[in-house]
Amino acid sequence: MYEAAIKAGIGERGEVWSAPDAATSGTPAALAGVRVLDLSGLAGQYCGKQFADLGADVILVEPVGGSPVRREGPFLGDRAHVEFSLQFAYFNAGKRGIALDLDRPEGQHILRQLAGDADLIIEGEKPDVMERRGLSFASLIASNPKLVMTSVTPFGQTGPYANYEAEDIVALALGGLLYLGGYPDTSPIAAFGNQACLAAAQFASVASMMALLAAEKDGGGAGRHIDVSIQECVTMGLETAIQFYDLEKTVRKRASGEQIMAGVGVFDCADGQIYLMAGGIASTRFWENLVNWLVDEGVDAARQLLEPAWQSHDFLATPEAKTIFRGSFAPFAEKHTKAYLYQTGQSRRIPICPINTPLDILTSRQLEYRSFFVSQEHTPSGRMLTVPGAPYQLQETRWRQARPAPRLGEHTSEILVGLGYDAAARAALLKSGVIN
Amino acid sequence: MKPLPLHGIRVADFTWIGAGSFTTKLLADHGADVIKIESSGRMDSLRSSRPYKDGVPGINRSGYFADRNSSKRSITLNLKTEAGKDLARRLIATSDIVANNFTPGTMEKFGLGYEAVRAIKPDIIYIAMSMQGAAGPEHKYLGYGLTMGALTGLQFLSGLPEREPAGTGTNFSDHIPNPCHAAFAILAALRHRRRTGVGQYIDVAQTEPTIALLGPAMSDCSANNRIQERSGNERAPRAPHGVFRCLGQDRWIAISAWQDETWAALCKVLGDPPFARAPQLATAHGRWENRHTIDQGISAITCHWDAVDLMSALQFAGIPAGVVRTAADIVDDDPQLRHRGHWVKLVHPEMGESVYNAPPFRIHDAPTTPVAPAPMLGQHTDEVLTTILGLGAAELETLRREDVLT
Repeated sequence: MYEAAIKAGIGERGEVWSAPDAATSGTPAALAGVRVLDLSGLAGQYCGKQFADLGADVILVEPVGGSPVRREGPFLGDRAHVEFSLQFAYFNAGKRGIALDLDRPEGQHILRQLAGDADLIIEGEKPDVMERRGLSFASLIASNPKLVMTSVTPFGQTGPYANYEAEDIVALALGGLLYLGGYPDTSPIAAFGNQACLAAAQFASVASMMALLAAEKDGGGAGRHIDVSIQECVTMGLETAIQFYDLEKTVRKRASGEQIMAGVGVFDCADGQIYLMAGGIASTRFWENLVNWLVDEGVDAARQLLEPAWQSHDFLATPEAKTIFRGSFAPFAEKHTKAYLYQTGQSRRIPICPINTPLDILTSRQLEYRSFFVSQEHTPSGRMLTVPGAPYQLQETRWRQARPAPRLGEHTSEILVGLGYDAAARAALLKSGVIN
Repeated sequence: MKPLPLHGIRVADFTWIGAGSFTTKLLADHGADVIKIESSGRMDSLRSSRPYKDGVPGINRSGYFADRNSSKRSITLNLKTEAGKDLARRLIATSDIVANNFTPGTMEKFGLGYEAVRAIKPDIIYIAMSMQGAAGPEHKYLGYGLTMGALTGLQFLSGLPEREPAGTGTNFSDHIPNPCHAAFAILAALRHRRRTGVGQYIDVAQTEPTIALLGPAMSDCSANNRIQERSGNERAPRAPHGVFRCLGQDRWIAISAWQDETWAALCKVLGDPPFARAPQLATAHGRWENRHTIDQGISAITCHWDAVDLMSALQFAGIPAGVVRTAADIVDDDPQLRHRGHWVKLVHPEMGESVYNAPPFRIHDAPTTPVAPAPMLGQHTDEVLTTILGLGAAELETLRREDVLT
């Protein structure tokens, strides 16, 4: 990629950082002018994406062989190639890319130059790695007092597990969420889709943004190092498990596969499953609506569900109540589609939802109304990908359709030119394998 | 120590239940003055949700409520009265942020929709977090954390392929995706306001952040026409990768040892078992093809190990491995969380000492622990109305008599 660019004479002019682009209305993006170096890979890449999508200039700094995420599926057309990872394409959209060997002195020097006027560095190395490279927060802030550095690691910078190895499932296990997932008669089952890493990236975004605000407010000299533990981020998602243990000394367990109480749980329908939540917190408000619906639909057995016993949470929690309820509701649900049960149930003010597949979500009329999905170019193939768009709608400073994820080394040249490296210097760096 | 990063920011907080309250907690724990506005006629329903301190119900005893409302102040205003609405408006006039997660239209009923609020405070940052967004064919549909998991695809994709969709076993969207996204959007809007003087309206649909996290599964479907299935603990092409039984009642360990080096190290720790010597297991591809045999072989050995001992041995050999911790384990027995001071005991006027999560990150040079336990219902009504709105004792008494402060 880069070699071809040199031959074509591309990249003789460049700036390190993009000029903040003014939106057509003249309103700057919310994060216009914020300069981010994203060194993070799996654990922090969504953090970099969140900054890029609100207008920050984010440079992805990859190893010369490419980010490990480039080797993570799914792949476009199932082609396992560094330019065809759909995961990479999605989580790195909006970023520019430089491929740099940070274990070599020349690469470290370039990173220090970039860090000199960055606002935020997101990194995910083991606690001692950045220091060994001479790129610790303490050394970088010395020449850039406003710098915020966010380190996202499995267990944090210090402590007995600081050097433990972890993949997503390990962090879910040690953070307590894994124990709550799955069925009583199986092993615990992990949530889909790297949720531990993603949780950490989301908290990293919040923490980084708070620190950036404080750094800007103080007008310099107020950079901070943020130490995000993926394990700790997972513990934030345990719902009431900690409080049940602390306050009532009971340990919550995995419970999928059966109703939580009568009227709350998963039920099969004609083309999949629905989730019904007519009991629980809401039981007294929605129960009658549900029973009336069933009776109107000709489910005579449902009449008994209006007897006084059904107003008691204790009764709803009994196997007897669950069995009676299933006997009334399941045969009815099995005759109808997800869409019918959802639309009809909701029109009667009953909390019922389809258990959506990715296809259901891609074709959701509500999401279509909100223009949630966007079309994004996949440059290596020229194809357009349909991907999630704005996860928040900011009326003044809109989430913006981001540039496609960088090809490996796509912006190496323009960034180095911006730093003052001439063609000969860049060719030497390429030849020695410091850049790609 | 520097002041907390959000010191000086005030939130008029109309949020309740899960995602909304958790969002403003993130702000409160970092120094924002979050004033939670409730009324005894319409209090946060989590106040009457289990678990309760010592199992005894009471509106100031719920741990479910407490954990989501640390560091906030609580006032009670009867928004059905004109005087109550007026006090809310006066409080908003002193605020930077107004937050709610009601069904669309509810705040408008109180006369506190965005346009009305902007008339009071032109540069307000106003965040609405309804279930499915402010408009659209399903915007008034009912939902909770669990039904949201169903809508977002996370439930469909988590669990075993031959069993009903399992999800995470929690209201996941309420606790991580929605509060984190909402807080990030608010903070970005604060930056914009500081640079331009302009506030704004933010609409977060509580389904969309979680779907955004599932982007690769969505593009796999749209580009490759593949609807991903539940796969339990399998993550192709990784094998072994999963959860294995250990000694004791319902004890398990998570292990991922799919690369050649970690696989070799795992075999060594497990005592070089005969099953692992099969030539087809020499490559990552071969291990994936034979993953069920491998999983059985590993389980047959791990079930004789104490989970903590095995984690130590595996980690010593450089293998990603972790005990599947219960809530009791992570509160009482996790040396790493203890080292980081993750669990904080705060003394609540009615609940006494109870456990709270600290934020899951440390900010060098600033304290990161909750500032105070959750407020009791209306605990700060007099304090807020006196110090912020300048009301006197006589006025408070009149308002109370007229049922405005209930």
